[in-house]
Amino acid sequence: MSYMEALRLAMRRLRTNALRTGLTALGVIIGVAALVSLIGVGQGTQAALTSRIASLGTNLLSVNAGASFTGGVRGAAGTATTLTEDDAAALVPLPGIAAVAPEMPVSNVVVVAGRNNTTTSLTGTSPAEAHVRSYTVQTGTFLSDVEVAKSLRVAVLGPTTVANLNMTPEQIVGTTVELNGIPFEVIGVTEPKGGSGFANPDDFVFAPISTVQAAFTGGTTLRTIGVSVNDPNAIAYASSAIELTLRSRHGLVASASDDFSLVSQNQLLTVASDQSATLRNFLIGIAAIALVVGGIGIANTMLVSVRERVREIGTRKAIGARRRDIGRQFLVEAVIVSLGGALIGVVVGVLVTGPVGAAVNVPARASLPGIALAFFSSLLVGIVAGFLPARQAAGLDPVEALRYE
Amino acid sequence: MTGTEAEALLVGEDLQRVYRMGESEVRALRGVTFSIALGESVAIMGPSGSGKSTLLHLLGLLDRPSAGRYLFAGVDTARLDDDHSAALRNRAIGFVFQNFNLVSGETALDNVAAPLVYAGVKRKERTERAREALDRVGLSDRMHHDPSQLSGGQRQRVAIARALVTRPPLLLADEPTGNLDSTSSAEIFSLLAQLHSEGLTLVTITHDPRIAARAERVLRVEDGRIVSDENSAAYAQAGAPA
Repeated sequence: MSYMEALRLAMRRLRTNALRTGLTALGVIIGVAALVSLIGVGQGTQAALTSRIASLGTNLLSVNAGASFTGGVRGAAGTATTLTEDDAAALVPLPGIAAVAPEMPVSNVVVVAGRNNTTTSLTGTSPAEAHVRSYTVQTGTFLSDVEVAKSLRVAVLGPTTVANLNMTPEQIVGTTVELNGIPFEVIGVTEPKGGSGFANPDDFVFAPISTVQAAFTGGTTLRTIGVSVNDPNAIAYASSAIELTLRSRHGLVASASDDFSLVSQNQLLTVASDQSATLRNFLIGIAAIALVVGGIGIANTMLVSVRERVREIGTRKAIGARRRDIGRQFLVEAVIVSLGGALIGVVVGVLVTGPVGAAVNVPARASLPGIALAFFSSLLVGIVAGFLPARQAAGLDPVEALRYE
Repeated sequence: MTGTEAEALLVGEDLQRVYRMGESEVRALRGVTFSIALGESVAIMGPSGSGKSTLLHLLGLLDRPSAGRYLFAGVDTARLDDDHSAALRNRAIGFVFQNFNLVSGETALDNVAAPLVYAGVKRKERTERAREALDRVGLSDRMHHDPSQLSGGQRQRVAIARALVTRPPLLLADEPTGNLDSTSSAEIFSLLAQLHSEGLTLVTITHDPRIAARAERVLRVEDGRIVSDENSAAYAQAGAPA
């Protein structure tokens, strides 16, 4: 019997048991739909996370005060004053470096504008911050060198912060807000970068570094230095130049560890994409379990079907069916159920991917590789699920099968 | 015996069949020797448990003897593997069962055409030959009916059409009228008799003396042995109703 004949026979058989066929296929439909939509959501999450990190600044190197943990031993803890404005200034002439921004953050600063208030973080920095962290101003101006030199009480606000104060950028620029009770003139509002929740890149206040040090933190130390390099390929080179410069400025001997740490945006991207890939694989794993359960449903139904059709199998053997003819008939039935379920499952999956993504705030879209993966997995599931029943049916003894009541 | 071994279709030499049921052995056939010629009509009679069904299964290549030799058209069947046996069943043997064994959910036409699917016959030719076979058993007006829509006699005629569709030389029938009323039984008798008159070799297991009376030969089986092998004229004279 050819596969074409087996297909024809199976289609007739499945139609006569339409309800059972539908319920059996339902397991596969759910599994495939879950696989397609969760792959879509997983990829959407990854893309969103990557673009958010990329929006924080390109070609960015971050120098953080304090030692990194190297070999499990924290080196030179508290022995150096870590980073200063002079350190930042020393990095400017290094080759391949485009911009250097000193940064001193103050967290949980209460911003009051008229009768509205919000809490956000204040970062003291320099005009170079706009370049280093990729900020553009939509209304007003960014910080200037003059304002830094004169320690003026001026502030640039993120668009989310402005919105939290129930104001528009046009309304707030030129007004005075209080930062922890100290009046600052708002000189600009940046363009939104997009994002929400924790570490929202649009919720902040920038003020001149000198002003923040004088009014809030005291001293001349920095938490971080943001460095932008000219060429992404030069990041490794720039990193070692920065490391050598800072080590020599901090007077570290050869055996001492760094009292600062260097993180590149690429490293962050790698970590983030690794983490989101883990999340995606986890989602695929869950969906795959659903598909496997669907396959078990097929195998179960097929085994029942073999039991019900023992006499038919005996009769078919009597009229000339070989083992492989019988086996093929049952295998093809299982594969049809799984492929039919897969087709419907793909359609359902494509339709629900968008809404599911929207529910978890991710721009998700079903992808062709996801669909192909789901489809071929279900083909495999059908073959595996049909194998045992098919073998059982093919191996029946014709005499016993004909006698079976 | 009728015919010599040279022109015999079926030859059994000391056929034995032993089933193992756990510890014990059931000797269904204890050494059966016979020869059935091409074109003969033979009835096999005997009480239940006598081994006649086992004999029919051996004749139909559904089972293999535990000992002895079985020649089908001169070929020693011990040399046939499962696929060869299946091919021989497909082309040379038609089966008719007491309970018809039609596949419900498939039309009479599809049921009759089923053996041709396994013979690898193309679809168009299958339909044509299945129509012819149904026509031959007088059911050309029931081709697209499901077996469940047919009477017992009609079902058995569909089954006979299925047995004939590959034009085999041999038809094996296991109590073909066992589930039928007397009117339907009579129809089936005359159909089988007619097929035999057209040259079909017919081996029928039956309890029905009327079928046996129409056969040329009657083999009586008891306790796994052939206890008598006589022509039916003698059987009829011995007192069975004609």
